[in-house]
Formats: sequence, C-alpha cells, structure tokens
Amino acid sequence: MTDKPHPQPPPPLKPLSPQDWELLIDDFQYGGVRRQKWTSALAIFPFIVDQALSSLLKRDFPLKLSLILFLEEFSNTLLGSADPDCQPHENSLHRLIETVRVVLQTPIDGVHVTFALREQMMVSVTSIVISLDTGLGQVHMRWVESLVELLLTVINRPNYGSDRQARAVACECLRELELAYPCLLSDIAGHLWSLCQNERTHASQSYILLFTSVIHNIVAQKMNVSVLNTSVPLVPFIVPQILLGDSNSGKEGSGGLNYKELRRAMAFLLEWPQVLTPCAMVEFLAMIMPLAVALDLQASMLKVQFFGMIYSYDPMLCHVVLTMYSKFLDAFDGQEGEIARRLILVSRETQHFLVFRLLALHWLLGFCELVLRRDAGKMKPIVETCLHIYPSVFDPLALKALNLDLLAFCSICVSESRLGEDAGNAKEMVMLFKDGLVSVSAFKWLPVWSSETAVAFRTFHRFLIGASSHSDFDPSTTRSIMDSTIFRTLQGMLVDVMLECHRLVPVMVAFTDRLLGCQKHIWLGERLLQTFDEHLLLKVKMGYKLVSYFPIFDRIAENDTIPPRGLLELLGKFMVFLVDKHGPDTGLKSWSHGSKVLAICRTLLMHHNSSRLFLRLSQLLAYTCLYFPDLEIRDNARIYLRMLICVPGKKLRDILNHGEQLLGILPSSHSSSFFSVQSPRSSHNVKKSRNISSYVYLERVIPLLVKQSWSLSLPSLGVGSNKPDYLEGIRDSEPVVEEREIDSSSTIQIIPETARIDQPHEPLRVMDSKISEILGTLRRHFSCIPDFRHMTGLKVRISCSLRFESEPFNRIWGDGTPVSGLDEVDALPALYATVLKFSSSAPYGSIPSYHIPFLLGEPSRNKDISGQQVSLEIVPLENGSEEDDRFRAPVIIELEPHEPTPGMVHIFIETNTENGQIIHGQLRSITVGIEDMFLKAIVPSDIEEDAIPEYYSDLFSALWEACGTSCNTGRETFPLEGGKGIAAISGTQSVKLLEITALSLVRAIERYLAPFVVSVIGEPLVTLVKDGEIIRDIIWKDVASDSSLDVTSTVTNFDRGPLQLTYTGDVGERESLASISRRNLGCFLVLIFLPPRFHLLFQMEVSDLSTLVRIRTDHWPCLAYIDDYLEALFLA
Amino acid sequence: MPGNCSIRAIWILNNLDTIVFSRKFPVVEKRWRVACKSENENSVEGGLNYTVFPSLPTDSELVAAFVERRKREGSIRGFGIRVTQSTEGSDSWVDDPITRHIIGLYLNKEEEGDNNLLWPLILLVKGQYCILALPLVEPRHLKAYARLCKRSDCGNAIGVDESLSSLLLDLPSITGAFMVSQAIGDIITGDMVEPEVVVSAAPSVGGLLDSLTGSIGISGISSRAKPVAAPVASSTPSGTAAAGTVTLDAPKTGTRPLDRDALRSFITSSMPFGTPLDLSYSNIFSMKINGFSASDLPPTDLKQPAWKPYLYKGKQRLLFTIHEIVHAAMYDRDEIPDSMSISGQINCRAELEGLPDVSFPLTGFNTDRVEVLSFHPCAQVPEHGLDKQSVMFSPPLGNFVLMRYQAICGIGPPIKGFYQLSMVSIDKGAFLFKLRLMEGYKSPLTMEFCTVTMPFPRRRVVSFDGTPSIGTVSITEHSVEWKIILSGRGLTGKSVEATFPGTVRFAPWKIQRLPSNSAFGGILDEDSDNESDGSNNMVNIEEFLMDKMSKDLPSVDLEEPFCWQAYSYAKVSFKIAGASLSGMLIDPKSVSVYPAVKAPVDFSTQVASGEYILWNTLGRCPSAAVAIV
Repeated sequence: MTDKPHPQPPPPLKPLSPQDWELLIDDFQYGGVRRQKWTSALAIFPFIVDQALSSLLKRDFPLKLSLILFLEEFSNTLLGSADPDCQPHENSLHRLIETVRVVLQTPIDGVHVTFALREQMMVSVTSIVISLDTGLGQVHMRWVESLVELLLTVINRPNYGSDRQARAVACECLRELELAYPCLLSDIAGHLWSLCQNERTHASQSYILLFTSVIHNIVAQKMNVSVLNTSVPLVPFIVPQILLGDSNSGKEGSGGLNYKELRRAMAFLLEWPQVLTPCAMVEFLAMIMPLAVALDLQASMLKVQFFGMIYSYDPMLCHVVLTMYSKFLDAFDGQEGEIARRLILVSRETQHFLVFRLLALHWLLGFCELVLRRDAGKMKPIVETCLHIYPSVFDPLALKALNLDLLAFCSICVSESRLGEDAGNAKEMVMLFKDGLVSVSAFKWLPVWSSETAVAFRTFHRFLIGASSHSDFDPSTTRSIMDSTIFRTLQGMLVDVMLECHRLVPVMVAFTDRLLGCQKHIWLGERLLQTFDEHLLLKVKMGYKLVSYFPIFDRIAENDTIPPRGLLELLGKFMVFLVDKHGPDTGLKSWSHGSKVLAICRTLLMHHNSSRLFLRLSQLLAYTCLYFPDLEIRDNARIYLRMLICVPGKKLRDILNHGEQLLGILPSSHSSSFFSVQSPRSSHNVKKSRNISSYVYLERVIPLLVKQSWSLSLPSLGVGSNKPDYLEGIRDSEPVVEEREIDSSSTIQIIPETARIDQPHEPLRVMDSKISEILGTLRRHFSCIPDFRHMTGLKVRISCSLRFESEPFNRIWGDGTPVSGLDEVDALPALYATVLKFSSSAPYGSIPSYHIPFLLGEPSRNKDISGQQVSLEIVPLENGSEEDDRFRAPVIIELEPHEPTPGMVHIFIETNTENGQIIHGQLRSITVGIEDMFLKAIVPSDIEEDAIPEYYSDLFSALWEACGTSCNTGRETFPLEGGKGIAAISGTQSVKLLEITALSLVRAIERYLAPFVVSVIGEPLVTLVKDGEIIRDIIWKDVASDSSLDVTSTVTNFDRGPLQLTYTGDVGERESLASISRRNLGCFLVLIFLPPRFHLLFQMEVSDLSTLVRIRTDHWPCLAYIDDYLEALFLA
Repeated sequence: MPGNCSIRAIWILNNLDTIVFSRKFPVVEKRWRVACKSENENSVEGGLNYTVFPSLPTDSELVAAFVERRKREGSIRGFGIRVTQSTEGSDSWVDDPITRHIIGLYLNKEEEGDNNLLWPLILLVKGQYCILALPLVEPRHLKAYARLCKRSDCGNAIGVDESLSSLLLDLPSITGAFMVSQAIGDIITGDMVEPEVVVSAAPSVGGLLDSLTGSIGISGISSRAKPVAAPVASSTPSGTAAAGTVTLDAPKTGTRPLDRDALRSFITSSMPFGTPLDLSYSNIFSMKINGFSASDLPPTDLKQPAWKPYLYKGKQRLLFTIHEIVHAAMYDRDEIPDSMSISGQINCRAELEGLPDVSFPLTGFNTDRVEVLSFHPCAQVPEHGLDKQSVMFSPPLGNFVLMRYQAICGIGPPIKGFYQLSMVSIDKGAFLFKLRLMEGYKSPLTMEFCTVTMPFPRRRVVSFDGTPSIGTVSITEHSVEWKIILSGRGLTGKSVEATFPGTVRFAPWKIQRLPSNSAFGGILDEDSDNESDGSNNMVNIEEFLMDKMSKDLPSVDLEEPFCWQAYSYAKVSFKIAGASLSGMLIDPKSVSVYPAVKAPVDFSTQVASGEYILWNTLGRCPSAAVAIV
C-alpha cells in the first residue's frame, strides 16, 4: 500500500465495474491522499451510493457483501451530509430500506440471494440507520419505523425451520435499535415475550437477549408499560410517543414500574441462562445485573445461579463473576478467599494462553484493591491464599514478574495488617521475598541486559517502595519503610550482589536513578546510597576492578547527604595502589583510572562544601600531583588542588558546574555519563531569553544630536560590480603591469609620485602654479588615506556602556533561592563572559565582537529607596552619580565605514548567568549618526607637530578649491595609500543660513566641532573664540592679513570661478551676502574627514544674529544628513 | 455500558506493515462518540487536556502509528517492563508485562494535539500477522491509562488506586477482545484444530463436521475447501438463477494470502455489530455451509442452546480421552528438589441424540494431587465448586475439552536419573547419563517411545564418542539425540536402566557479538578484566568457559521462562499410554446419561512429555521455590 497515484476515478456518470469498486474501497480504507481523491468531489457521493444500491440488486454482481460492508463502514462519509434534511440523504436512506425490503422478499436461491446476503443486509442497514442519526428528528424516525417493521416481520415466525439464523440476526438488529433508541420496542414487549417463549431453535438466544434488553430499558427509563399486554399490534409498527415528542410528554408513562410483571419476566429470563453462549452470557448479565438491583431481587439468587461460572475455563465467564462481585459486594461476602484461590489457579493453568494467565493475576491484584478499599479486614483470607504462591520454573518471565508483584503485595498486607506477631512477620516477609526471587536469581550471573535482570530489579523496586503510593501524603509510612526488615534485607542484598558481581553496578545505578528521579521516593534512593557508602566501601576489594564501581561512587559523590570521608579514603587508597602498581605496561591504565578518580573528585567538589572535603581531598590531590606517574593526571590534580585552596566554595561549584569540558578533563567513559546529567541545567532557554532587551541595555555614552534617525537608501550602495557614480572616483589604477608586480611581490611596492602623475591616460594640461600647489597638497593628503578595499580602513569608534537591572533579571534567571547574604554586592546577579556581537545593514564592514568578562547587575532602585537595606555603602551611591562604574561596562563599537552614512547597529548578546544558564538574545539596536563619522583628517607622518595647523589650513583651502563646482582638479586622480586605488574628487556645494546668535554658535562649535576647526578668520571672532581656549592650535587670521583667504574675495572668487562670467542674477545675492558680511564678525573654517575618503567642509560666516554656512563636500549624499545635523546642532 | 464487551475496530497487519484486513463497527463507534461527548461535557477536572478523543484512524494512519511504536519500544510487542530506554508516555513506562499484549498507539493527527492516544489495542501476533483489536472502553478508562503512562514518578506501587490492575478488572471488554482476536488468529492461520479424542480402534475422531456429514470425506474444518460456487448452471435446478456465479473477489483471489471472505463471514456471524455473540468457528462455519432446512425440527419441550445449533442424529456413543502433559525439572541435587507437574484435560465427544445431560464421578479427584479444575461452560458447576466429585454436563456437538486440571504425579517420574556434562577442554565435553525409566510403573502403562536430546544452540557439534547401554544415538549440527526407546517397541510393565557415557567435540569457540544489547547494553567497560586475576580463572576451564559464554547471551522475550541458552541440559520426550499419571480416571460403567439412553462409552488416556528437562548436574540451572497451595 503505497501512496502512488492511482488512475483517475472514472467520470461519475459511468457505472463502476467490480474492479473500480475494489479500488474505491481500498482507497477509502487507506485514507489520506488516496481517499481524498474521491472525497474531494462531494458531488459524486450520491452517485456512489446510488450505484452501490443498484449493484446490490443486480443478479450477477460479484461483490455484494463487500459493497454492503463498505456502505456500512463509510456511511458517515457517504450518506451523512452536513444537513440531515437535505435531499440526497433522504433519498439514499429511502432507497436503502427499500433495498432491504426487496432482498428480504426475494426468495432465497442460494446463489444470488443467499442467507448471508440477507443477514448482512439487515445488519448493515440497521447499522447505517443508527450511525447516521445525528439527533432525533421526526423524519429520521420514519426510517427507523419502517426498518423495525421489516425486521419484526422477519422474527415473527418462531420455530420456522430454514430461516432461524436470519431470525436470530433480525433479533440482533432490533436489539441494536433498542439500544440506540431506548424503549423503542417497549410497546410491543408483550409480543416479544411470547415470541421469546415460543422460539425453541438455537435462535432463542437472540430472542432472549432482545427481550432482556427491552425489559432492561423499561426499567432503566422507569416506564409504566405492561410487558404482558399484547393489545398493540406488532405490525404496523409505530414509534412510541416518548421517543418522538419532547422529553416531558414521555413523563406521563413513567408513573412507576409494574414490579409484578417485571419480576415475572425476570424469573422467566433467569430460567434460560444455560442456552446462552459465553459471549451472550456476558451481554445477558450486563443487562440483568442492573435489573436485579432495580427490582430489588435477592442478589444471592444470582450468586447461586452464576457463581459457578468462575470454575469455567472461559476467561469471559470468570470475568463476569468478578464484575458481579463488584456489583453485589454484600451477597458475595465471604467469597473473597475462594475467588482469590480460583484466580491464582487460573494463572497456573498452563493450557491457557499466557495473556489470560497474566490477566488472572491482574484481576486478582485489582480485586485485592477493591476489597482493600471496602474492608481491609477481608484481606486476610485473600492474603492467606496468595501468600506462598511462588512462580514455577517454567512460567514465562512475564508471569513470574506479575507473580512477584503479588508476593510484594502480600508482604505489604502482612506487614500492615499485623497478621500474627511482629517478629515472625518480618521473618516471613523476608522469606517471601527471598523465595520469590529464586525464580529469577540468574540475574546475578547473566549479562546485565538479560530479561531476568530487568524482572529482578523491577521486583526490588516493588518490594522497596512497598505500600507507599505516589499520591500518599502520610510521612509515617516513610519512616516505617526505612525501619522495616524488608528494607534492611534488600539493602544488604543489593550490597552483596554488587560485591559479588560488579557487572551489575550500572544496573544498580539505573535503579537508584529511578528512585532519585521520583519526587516521592528520592529519600529511598538517598538511603540506598548511604547504605552503599557505609557497607559497600568497606568491603570492596582493592584492585583494578575497583573501577567498575565508579559509576555508583559517582552517585554517592553527588549526594550531599553522605559525608565524603569514606569515599575519599577509598579513592586515596586506590591512588596509592595505582602508583604502586605502575609499571611499564600499565601506562594507559594508570592514566585512565587516574582520570576516573579525578572525575569523582570533581563531582565531590561540585556537590559538597569545601570545608567538608578539604582535608582528605587536598591530601589525595597533593599525593597525586606529587607521585602519580602520568603527567596529565598530575596537572589536573594540581589544578583541582589550586582551585580547592584558592576559590571559595560556592564560586568553585558554580565554575565547575558550568564549564565541564573547558577544564580540560579528559572525558572518560564515566564522566560522559554525568556530563549528560547536567546538560539540562546549562542548556539555554529560548523562552527566557526572549525579553532580554527590557532589562539589559547597551547605550551610547554620548547621545546623538539628531534624535530620529533615517538614512538615505540608495540602490547598490555597496562597492560591488556596479559602483554608483559618486564612488566612481575611487577605482583601481589601470596599469595592468604594475598591478601584476604588486601582486607578485610580497613587499609593498612604493611607486614614486612623479611616475604616477605621468600615467599614460593622465590628461595633460596646463596648470598654473596655484593649481599645482593645490594638487600637490591633495596628493599628499590622499596618499595618507588607507584604501579600505586592500587594507584595514579607517575606524570609527562609538563608545557605549552595557548595564542590566538586577531585579527583573533575578526574577527570570534566578534559581529561586532568596538571597540572604549580608553583602549587598554579593547578592547582586552577575553576567559572566559576555560576548556582544554586532551586525548592521549599513556599509560598516565587519564589526568586531566585544567581550566583557564580568558585569554586576544594577541594584534595583526601589529596594534602596524603600530603605529595607540601607547599607552604608549604598547611600553615597545614591547621592552621587547614579551611574556607578561597577554596574557599567564600557563597550566600544568599531566600525569601518565604507561610506559615511548613518545607520543602525544590531546587537546580539551571549552571556552566562552565575548558575550556568546561557542567555542568548538581542538587545536594542544602537543608532549611528552622521556625526559619528566625523574624523580629523590624517596628518602625514613627516609633518612636524607645530606645522600641523598650517597643514590643515592648506588642506582646507585645497579641498575647498577642489570641491568647487568648476575646478581644474575635477579630472585629476589621486592615488590612495598603498598605491592600488586612486580617488577623484567631484565636489558639491550647498548653503545653509542659521538664525542664531553668534555667541550660541560659538558655544555649539566649541562643544561639538572644536576638533575640526582649522581656522578662525576675522578679528572679532578670533577674540570671541580665543579666550575660550577650547579651540586651540589652529590658524588665527585677521581678515586683512591674508588676501588669499579674504572672506569677501573668496566668496566672489568661488562664486564666479576663475573663468566665469558674472550673471546678473548673481548680483543681488552677492550683494546681500556682502551686506551680511558687512556686519561680519568673522569666519570658521571647519574640515571634517569622512571615512573612508571623503570630506566635509564648512565655512561659517558668523554675524551677530545669523550665520551663513557654506558647505562643500566630495560626497554629495552626506548633504542629506548635514542639514538635520546643523539644525540640531545650532537651533535646538 | 459497563460489563459488556464490544469492539470498535479490528485490523490485521502482515509482516510488511501492510493492513491486509480491517473492519470497523459504526454502531460501537457511535456509542464511543456519544460517551466522549458526555464525558467532555461532564468532566470538570482536566477539561482542557482531554476534550478530544481520537476517532478511528484510517489504515495508513494506523500503520504509521504502529511502526512508530515499534521503533520507540524496540520490538513489535515492546519492552513490557520499564528499562532505561523507556520513555514517558510509552507502554513500557507503565512497567507491566501485559503491555506487551495491550498496547497504546499515538496517532499522528495534527488537529487533535496531544490527545491522540488510542488505547487499549489488543495485540496478538500470530504467524506472520499482527491482529489489533480495539475494544470499547469508557473515556475515563482511557484517561486513566493516559495518566498511568505519563506519570513522572518511579513506577506504581502495588495495591494502590488507579493501577492497571483495577482498570483491567473493570474492563471485561479487554478480555472479550482477547477472545475475539484469538478466534480470528486461529482462522487466519488455519489453526482451527479441535481437541483430539482418541478411540482405541481408530487413531482419532474428527470434529463437528463429521458428526454432521457422517464420514463422507470432509475431515476437518481446516482442510475444508472454500465454498467456491459451482460452475454455471450446474447444481442449481432453478434455471432462472443460473445467470452468474458468486465468484468471490475474483481478480485477486489467487494472490491473497489471507482468506478475507472466511474472515468477513466469521465476523458477520459472530459479532454482527461488533459485540461478540458466539466465537465458536466450528458452529459458525457449519451453519454457513449447511444452513438449515425445514426438516430440522427444534426440540419439543426445551430450548435448543445457541452453542448447539444442530442436534445429533444417528448411532449414539460417548468418547472420553484424558490427555496429560508432564513437565519436569530434574536436578539430582540435594539443595534443589526435583519438580514435576502434570497438566491434563479430559476431551470428550458425545454422539447423543436430543439434549441429554451426562454425568460421571471424578475418580482421582479426591486425592490431593489435583490442583486446578476448570470446566467447559456446558458443565453445570454448583456455586461452591465441585464438592460431590461428580461432573454433570450437557454436551455440545463435536469434540470439546470438558475439563482441565493441574496435578502432581501420582506414581513418580517416568524417567529418573541424572545428566552430567563437564568440559574437559574448551572444545570437548565429557558427559554421562544414568537414567531409570518407568520405575514402579505397572502393566497397563506403556511407554511408546523415549528420546533424550542434548541441545547445544551456541556450539556446533563436530563429533561424539560413546555407546549407550540401550538405544541409538545421532547428532545434528547443534544437538545430540539419544533414542532410548524407539516407537513401535513400547515398554510395558517393567523398568529399564539406561546409561550413556561419552564425549562430545565441538567446533572451535567463536565469540558471537550481539548487534545490540537491548536493555543495559554498552555501559560496561571491561577493558581491564582478565589481566589481574586471569591466571586464577584458567584453573577451571568450566568456569572460564561459562563466563565467556554468558557474556554475550541475548536477552529473551518475557514470554520465555528463562534464557534457555544460558544452561546446559538434556530434554526428554516420551509418550505413555495406558493410564494417566495423575490418577485421573473415568470409569465407563459409572457414566450416566439422562434421559437414559443406551450408549457405549469409550475411554482412553495419553500422556506426553512437555518440558521434561534433566539439568546438567555440574552446571548452572534455573530453579524456583516450591509453591505451597
């Protein structure tokens, strides 16, 4: 059966062939895609039903029986449309019942119309009618009515020879209908009774069952009808009013039961149980039992008649008696012992299938529970019966296991009910246990995976936990189990077994783990480990085989209720043994055993207070570092020793808990098993990490001026194959020869500048001296700019700080233990080994991650204010700056912009809590503004310190010139550092008028732009600025002193360009500018370098009340942000 | 509807994980849905968790769930008891061996979330088929089981509320479903063998059909040909009806391994609406084949039982056969007593007209030797069991098991003695048998044959050396077989002593690595084992070999009594005729029939060996404490 596509269903109007039907039926059974193929076209359902029904009436259709069954099984899909009153549904039901009628009326010919067909038709149609009923509708009842009528005509011929089986089947159909519609047949009960009395063939069983179910429903519904009355005719059948009308109309009939008649009917029914098959008997009794209760019948009567069935070997009959017991506890009082005995014997009957023997034991256990719940005193006969029933040799293991369960149960009962005197009791229980165990005693030498071992340990578990159920809340039983003989015996036995066969150690570990993993029985597991510690450690033989006990030692080491003394002593001795035995051929063994010992030491360190361990463990470790033959073991021991001595206990445990593998312990076969135990603790919790940004913050130290951030999104900003035109200036220098040279040589080739100028495609032009001077300056400048494509570019650093709030952090990540330490700071949570990772969609290159080894959480402010713990230390903090350095970690984000543009940097944090939980999460993103891109221009290394202002000034004027609209440098190219790339300048200019007083302008400049000012021109301004002493080391100029940079002349010059005609339109502007300049205080020249290789130049002409900023840049997109920036800078 | 037994669906899978047959019962399913609806409406607690119950899966969904469970539980049946691989929510988490027979499946249905547990599914593995039957339980039972298999504690204590045991006690439908699946299993594998009734003259007497058809050649149900219709216009005289034939499932009949039609018609008759009414296939098939005619008259004054649809007509007689099977574990050691038990049954065939009652005294029942007595449902057992020591029954047609019993041997073991095997080297063993047959057995008792087999499943036998005092010896690849008494030369009325000293040589020992050690495998680290104390071990080859061999023993199914391969033993098989060993006896003269009729009574006995094991006195042996009843 595969999902392979089948041929498409035939078009709906074509009649289906038998083969098609087979395919259709198979597909429906298979379900899934194959069924959907048919069901997707809902419209075909009526057609299918139609076809099916007409096929059934065809003489020679071969698949009649399967077709009926198909209709029956899928009636809900095929016939049960969503709307029960809709036409196809009605039609189909009508046709269905008509089909039965036809089949029933056609004489049997043994070939086309067989008894089998008739019987199957009756059954299937009944089944369809019942299962299609969605609610009691009048319409639906009409179909029920006509179906019942048909069936009644069939059964109304008692003792007729040939169709007795058909009558039986019709009775069953009627019984199902009666079951589905209780009291459907109550009006004709009298007729049914007389039919039932008359029928004498084997079909009488079905008549009896039908009549019983009618009576049962009459009693259950408390109907006041006469079961003797035959005045209502059998046919035509009319559905009783109660079933049709609403519920209260039926109440009139429920005046009370007609007890006399019903008892008579009951007496009649009880006459004939011996004609029933065992299955029918189960049905019969299921109906009779509630009847007996309702009619106040003597339950002992039932007992007399039916209790003997428990001696039958038919499991169903046995079970029926047990069901009767639970119904009529009083009548069966005193039979407990007999029932228990019988069930035990059933379980020993080897002729039975195994499953019935298992069931018998289960019934017995369930029966015991039943009796216990009712009256514990009645347990005595049961326990006495079951007490010494041991499994026999040839019983299957499954049976042995259940038999041992029974013994465990008996032993519990014995100990609880105190049957007999105490001492004898305990002895008896131990004997029970030991004798019972004989049957699986082979577990001691069979391989650990043997089924015998599994059964034996299952039994230990049963005996051990005894009567302490998991829902139990009584602690006294705990005590009593601990003190019980059986518990002591079992412990002793487990120790002996381990000593005898060390193979069983892993099984024992699994066994204790099972107890330790259970909330209710963890103490039992601990007690066991304590016993092992007390008894096993003393008795184990020193030798290489000791290693096989290590798994259990590890469990002992993990448990802090057990003093580590004994274990450490033993391990110490073992180390001595290893050192003693060491020889040339035991190298590997010494290493492996030694590391296993260290693994246990580590477990001890992790789970015990250092003070408890200190003396013995330090001795052990010291001995190991001194004498152990293997270097690695010595090293590891030394590390542990150092840790034990130097790291305080709690921290040590945390450290060990956290980084198992990192500590360089060689994973041995044992350690791997307990590594896996701890992994869940350190696993990272996605859910918890989700809201991390609400209490862990990464913030800029200097907030951005422009608060709302946006960035200009240009297509293909990257330095990809299609470079945008403004980047075109930077490109690889063409000469292929040269490039090859550079590639082939490992050393950096220095190309003389002159040579570069003389490149073949370098345009030849006449240059005046001024221009050549400018070019010289620019060349020199550009040659200092690193080409980010070939080397590390210029870095932009953004300082941030990381902090987190303690209180919400503890709420989410804390281990729930209230912090009660005296030291406030110790109580604060901390993050360890934090790694911040950055990413951005802006062209910032790869941003290196940042590591913070340790960060303390900020104390919650509420707590401090509430004054609960106003420690002396906290108060000054409150008064002083809120931002205590201890709670903030500085973070530097290093960008390597490929383009000076604002953007967002996304932050991912990965860190660890104190208890080893791993936090992954995303913090709020950091905004990068245009001002973050502001850098000082690079000064060539050969410029002297005091010549720097001069250099900047020169550079400014050269760039100012070059960025002008019409400049001779426009077609020049400038090689970058390393000589591989060259840049060209294509300038843009812009103007912004700021309505701001000179004073506040100077303040703002001093505050934000001071490093970038290269020159201040104009005497009034110079005096204004120089006193501030914030702007220093620049060129101070009077206006007159330097003609070349005379403000007015510069303006005119630049406006016109050297070879430009003056437009008339320009005059007005120039004049207005001139008029402003008349009240001019002076001028700031600002040179900002934008990585990777761009520039932003301001010339600020400062007046009293306003300032005109002339902006020139060789990176026009940045103008978009500069406008906002300047406004924020000066106007905010 | 507590207390009765209905089945929601039946599936039969073959060993290729394909469903070869499935049947769903819409009426029962409707009851389940109604119950779920009212449960969901009424349940206050856990309403969230259990609002939906799975509806019946389609064939493909069921197969997927079945395969998934097999993967999770290691085998078709599962672990049965909780092992390290058991996961919460799986059957083995419940830690009960019966979960190998009553399983739960998790259907993979997205829309139903977690509530996709389908339980209880009765699992019967029969031949190459797996039969799954889903009985109707109440939703609260399903909930209870879901809680049981999902509880996170260390496992249930015994005798507390809400255990699997009380669930099973509450659910007769599970028991019924087992009966149904057994019946279906018998049909699909053709195992429909009726209990054997032996007559002194002929070897055995056929089943129900014989009593109906006389002896016209149809010997038994299993060999009966399918009711393939006669060819066109053959036997049916009514020519009008002869247009076609009922060729059942014509196109695929040849390739189908399963007789779907037989199954379908069995189900239709035995459980038309999913509630079983009669599981006796012999009755159902004889009704299917023979039908009834107008001349089949019912009894005049009594009702004819449903389990006896036909009344016998013809020569009347009564046949009884006692069958006993002897199980024994012979240790020949001081500390372990030998144990021997007999499971016996009385088979009967009553060829009596009408509906008479038969009764006879149970001779031998008054001793302490007989432990268990269980009866056929037709036996009328009074409330307090059989105290008058006579059994009365109204026999059905055909052969039937009237009564079963367990007993201890009344005379003493038929074969006594010891078997010793000692390994003189790794590949050579010396053995010695010293047996005494039929000691104290008097004249009618005849031992028809007796064979002793020494199985060596893990070693290949190369040769043997030695001569027995009586009988012949042969070897196969993995065993040595000693025929002490050959069939045809029965041993009557005297006792015989048989000895057989010899040696057996094996092919060199090879370590058989198991592919996977099921439960606790792989934990052990045995790297350092035989270095330090290896020299001591070599002193005793026997022990050394034992250790070596026991290291890679496979784990056995829970249906086995123990790991057979771990022991060395000899198995005895024999057959004894003449009388029962338990002392059970039917005196033909005291058998009475009411209403009285003259019918000869024939009585015979057969005793055969079951697990009759002689444990190697020098090796390990499994044992058990003796039960005191």
